[in-house]
Amino acid sequence: MAQLGSKAALKESLRGRLRRGWPLYFFLLPGIIACITFQYLPMFSNYIAFLDYNFNNGWFGLASPFAGFKNFETFITNPSFWPLVSRTVIYSLCLLLFSFPVSLVFALCLNELRSEGYKRIVQTLSYVPHFVSWVTVAGLFYMFLSTDRSGLINNLLELFGFQRHPYMQNANNFLPFLIVSEVWKELGWGTIIYLASLTGIDPQLYEAAMVDGATRWQRCLHITLPSLMPTTSVLLIFALGRMFSNNFDQIFNMQNPLIRAKTDTLNIHIYYRGVVNQQYAYSAAVGLFTGVVSLILVVLTNALTTKISETGVF
Amino acid sequence: MSELSSYEKLRQMEEKGGKVPSLGTQSPEMHIKRTPGELVFDTANVILLGIICLLMVYPFWYVLVLSFNTGSDAAAGPLWLWPRVFTLENYKYVFGYEALQIAYRTTLTRVVTGPFLTVGVNMCVGYALSKHWLPARRQIILFMIMPMFFGGSIISTYIVYAKLGLMNNFLVYILPGCFQFFNMVIMRTFIEGIPIDIEESAMLDGAGYGRVFWQFVLPLSTPILACFGFFSVCNHWLDLQTNLIYVTDRKMQTLQYMLYQVINSAEAAYFMEASSPEAVARSLEAMSNNTVPTPEVIKMTVMVVVTFPILMVYPFFQRSFIKGMLVGAVKA
Repeated sequence: MAQLGSKAALKESLRGRLRRGWPLYFFLLPGIIACITFQYLPMFSNYIAFLDYNFNNGWFGLASPFAGFKNFETFITNPSFWPLVSRTVIYSLCLLLFSFPVSLVFALCLNELRSEGYKRIVQTLSYVPHFVSWVTVAGLFYMFLSTDRSGLINNLLELFGFQRHPYMQNANNFLPFLIVSEVWKELGWGTIIYLASLTGIDPQLYEAAMVDGATRWQRCLHITLPSLMPTTSVLLIFALGRMFSNNFDQIFNMQNPLIRAKTDTLNIHIYYRGVVNQQYAYSAAVGLFTGVVSLILVVLTNALTTKISETGVF
Repeated sequence: MSELSSYEKLRQMEEKGGKVPSLGTQSPEMHIKRTPGELVFDTANVILLGIICLLMVYPFWYVLVLSFNTGSDAAAGPLWLWPRVFTLENYKYVFGYEALQIAYRTTLTRVVTGPFLTVGVNMCVGYALSKHWLPARRQIILFMIMPMFFGGSIISTYIVYAKLGLMNNFLVYILPGCFQFFNMVIMRTFIEGIPIDIEESAMLDGAGYGRVFWQFVLPLSTPILACFGFFSVCNHWLDLQTNLIYVTDRKMQTLQYMLYQVINSAEAAYFMEASSPEAVARSLEAMSNNTVPTPEVIKMTVMVVVTFPILMVYPFFQRSFIKGMLVGAVKA
């Protein structure tokens, strides 16, 4: 409808379109420059993973001697290689596995509320934790679980006759805390996209189902849920693609020196080795490794979801 | 939904008394009697959601309570709902701390400049790409989407920024995130929904693209501008990584980094150091009142100061970001 004008324009010759549209390229310029500087340059500088990199060796350090796959070898033969990789995968998978269904169920619960006002209040309040940083969330966890008098959880436990216990200093508790904090922070926010796609469902579907005598539960199961699947699969693809690069802030802030060695993931490893200890080439190799794995993951999940639900992003 | 462009849909919502309907479908059978099973479910649902809300909000209330309580009293026994010994002393200490004032200034500058840049850049690109006849449009989109799937790692980005002179440079806070592909796509979708006749008649009258963009496209896109402006404000306010990786200068640290240090290192103790004559006077007074803060309450107070400004603001933007998400959902 709104594109009538541009449809006519599509038939124009290339020269005509160029003459008409050349000023528009100036609108694109800031975006393209930003893309090149802040995304393509870092992409190409992945190349330093193959160098025996020295920051000050020639322009950009590119005169550093070529090292082939040496840095990758160092990484793969590192005794912490498997722990790091498996931990990264397990953490991300667990976070995905919990946060997706919980938000979906929460959205369905909200959708079943009869009072509009109450629904609004619940929505507004459940968005609150999305608007705080991971620094704050981790801070809350540390304070609530601390053993001194401001430790809310320990206060509660003591009230019920339990011992005070420094929970954050036990590496075994780390994953459950990650999951709880993730669910707490993003539960409400995660529902927005589902609720938004719920508005797109044709009300006639519900009416027809009711005429056929479907109960509320059946309507939810056979109409509401299936209509949310395309959205869910698109979200899942993106989430899987970010699986290795996600969660830096969360894990970084939830860690403490006592449990760091047992809870590092690839990204945290890159940060400490690269930025803090300045082993640039080695960490660039680790980074490139995760980048390539993520790319493969995205392509695979996209193929898979396209096959299952016929909605992909490509 | 699919026949109407997002723009028209939002317009229609505005006409219905300026109220955006809350999200989700409405069950059509409001007046049919509920079965006992449904009644039980509805009640349980209401209670469950109430508990969830409480869990979302109570932690912040607790932090607020502690920040208004004296340190010595907070250390004496657990607090639940209300400060036992009320004091404003903690806030006096926190606001008197120079590093926090500097962090406030840096963050505010960032929060004011960053969103303008981001929204401006994304709108410009979105406007240009909304013209489907533009030569090389597909190639440009492909060029812009590629880094989404394979980009630089933390380190390769770090090296590039260091070489570009962005270390300890205020620009590192606002420049790198200024173009965001997804936001641009949503803005483009929105712009495509604006009736093209306005633009064409304006151009017949001799207006150029710049003028059309400035006088028609931007004013007609206010809902989406508000939405992404607000998102950008949040991102800038909440970002820790940029400061953590690229900025070591204490004169340029942000509030989140400040909070990180207060929580994770002994920084909270510095708040109590008396560095100026006023600080000495203050600490003497606090000592005589027995209101000297402990590191614990200082942490809480800093957390309030860093976290609450955004929480105070977001309910006012709720309408606009939900609108933006609606447009985005149409796209997805």
